[in-house]
Amino acid sequence: MATSMEVDVPAVSTVMAAAGTSGSVTISLHPLVIMNVSEHWTRARAQEGKIVQVLGALIGQQKGRNIEVMNSFELVFDVIEGDIVINMEYYQLKEEQFKQVFSDMDFLGWYTTGDVPTPSDIKVHKQIFQINESPIFFMLNPMGKNSDLPVSIFESVVDLVNGEATVLFVQLDYTLATEEAERIGVDHVARVSSGDNSDISMVAEHLTAQHSAIKMLHSRIKLILQYITAVEKGEVEKNHDVLREAYSLCYRLPVLSTLRFKEDYFNQCSDVCLMAYLGAMTKGCNTMNQFVNKFNLMNDRQSMGRRARGLFF
Amino acid sequence: MDAQNAQKTWSLANNIESVSAADEIYRFDSKQQQDILTAKPWEKDPHYFKHIKISALALLKMVMHARSGGNLEVMGLLLGKVDGNTMIVMDGVALPVEGTETRVNAQAQAYEYMASYTEAAKQVGRLENAIGWYHSHPGYGCWLSGIDVSTQMLNQQFQEPFVAIVIDPVRTISAGKVNIGAFRTYPKGYKPPDEGPSEYQSIPLNKIEDFGVHCKNYYSLEISYFKSSMDRRLLDSLWNKYWVNTLSSSSLLTNAEYTTGQIFDLADKLEQSETQLGRGGFMFGMDTQDKKTEDKLAKATKDGCKTTIEAIHGLMSQVVKDRLFNQVHCKPPRTSS
Ligand SMILES: [Zn+2]
Repeated sequence: MATSMEVDVPAVSTVMAAAGTSGSVTISLHPLVIMNVSEHWTRARAQEGKIVQVLGALIGQQKGRNIEVMNSFELVFDVIEGDIVINMEYYQLKEEQFKQVFSDMDFLGWYTTGDVPTPSDIKVHKQIFQINESPIFFMLNPMGKNSDLPVSIFESVVDLVNGEATVLFVQLDYTLATEEAERIGVDHVARVSSGDNSDISMVAEHLTAQHSAIKMLHSRIKLILQYITAVEKGEVEKNHDVLREAYSLCYRLPVLSTLRFKEDYFNQCSDVCLMAYLGAMTKGCNTMNQFVNKFNLMNDRQSMGRRARGLFF
Repeated sequence: MDAQNAQKTWSLANNIESVSAADEIYRFDSKQQQDILTAKPWEKDPHYFKHIKISALALLKMVMHARSGGNLEVMGLLLGKVDGNTMIVMDGVALPVEGTETRVNAQAQAYEYMASYTEAAKQVGRLENAIGWYHSHPGYGCWLSGIDVSTQMLNQQFQEPFVAIVIDPVRTISAGKVNIGAFRTYPKGYKPPDEGPSEYQSIPLNKIEDFGVHCKNYYSLEISYFKSSMDRRLLDSLWNKYWVNTLSSSSLLTNAEYTTGQIFDLADKLEQSETQLGRGGFMFGMDTQDKKTEDKLAKATKDGCKTTIEAIHGLMSQVVKDRLFNQVHCKPPRTSS
């Protein structure tokens, strides 16, 4: 907050490690965390009427070098002489609370909102060392304008700068974690406008989702193709890495053509076909039953009479 | 410095514009809420609340919490506010309670946690109060059981305004869309005006009795969702990375167990309707019997259709993927040696 005025381009280099330093962990990030931070920021802004920086903790699981960021919660901080000071008492309280519900998750790091990491973020990061020796740092840029996800994740290294040990950030790559229920949830909220209309055909809905995914795949492939054509024409310089990757991608097709896959695939097909038979037969029985009932009802008078006579004989 | 100033003026303009629009719902007006709490308009009309709005975040949290419980029921608290006859859910809080269907005192146990949580949340600008609770019904649909009804009745006596949300993580996956319901109970002894038949949902055989006894004691609210302008942007760019998962997932594989269960359930239901059919044919007073049998068979048919359609959907995606990735002949087929 206070730093945003003084920060100029040179200041950035004092918080980021030299280019080429690679991260030591791999990160997978759950969309829930992104939505959580987004909501925290939106809420704070709606309440205050102006843009404010928000801050919170990241929790999840760490297995060796793999970190899975699963959830997050807000933190309280004070601004003392322009510096952010995290309220550790509040953290302790929240930690005790989340441990009761998500017992398998641990504290991993912290998040904030902003454009690029600043010296102020380094100061906060040092406070986080009290909780976790190697915390990660998640930054959401609410003002990001391009279509990429405006999320960056960093870890810290200690390096000598001008003979002094300094904490520096190293940017990490991340992937989005996938869990079936979460995917459906994200899909659901992303397409909120379409609502829960029951008069839209279920098949159409299902196929639309597939279609838009395939369209996306198609556009990506077209991009690669465009690049290769451009290289062939000599419009673009050859990048051997890209070409190699494109080649290996093509070489992997067909993805699965083993006998075992064919067998399993065939089994799956026949399983579903059996289910479809069952469904169709049940439906047929029901229709038949209804027909018989209606038929009986129509001829009820005579049959009643006949049966009644039968009783008296 | 110029660029920075430009950015500042831009963000200022942007700020004013969008707070007033879609994100106004994220602001909490405590005086307005207090006024509503004192007026208690819901006391006059047992059917006062008709709609419920759920934030994207709350929905995602509930889905993930429910899913993390696996086959166990989980429970949580809803924070939100009231606007006219609409309840607005801003956030969901997971509670340290499992197995809500079997334990009546589940809520009492969670009460202490609830109090300390909402107190702590106020410090970070989460000013909303508790407005309801949610719990999961893994694999058996969204409705209120007997225990749920009595819990909710108690809540509506002492915690008003309060809503009960039920979410089914297993059916969410098999149907490919979120399976959720929001309910409020009627006061004891209240006879609801005869509504049209509520939307049909398949309920496993062993739960049907519980459902039938209590289904007239509550009504469901119409659910809609909302998200902030920020969420909208994020979700758009999420999709840029997320489409891969739509292609790579297969509901046939992730939900095989549930599908098998559904088939077993269908078999049981068919058998039951069959015995009744057989009996009905010989009985003299056919009219009443007939109606029941027909219902049973018709319902079993609906269940069967649903399961089948979901399975066919799963297979359709498999076929599409096979076509896309396996039937490509960009290089000569491998010679089998
Ligand atoms: Zn329940």
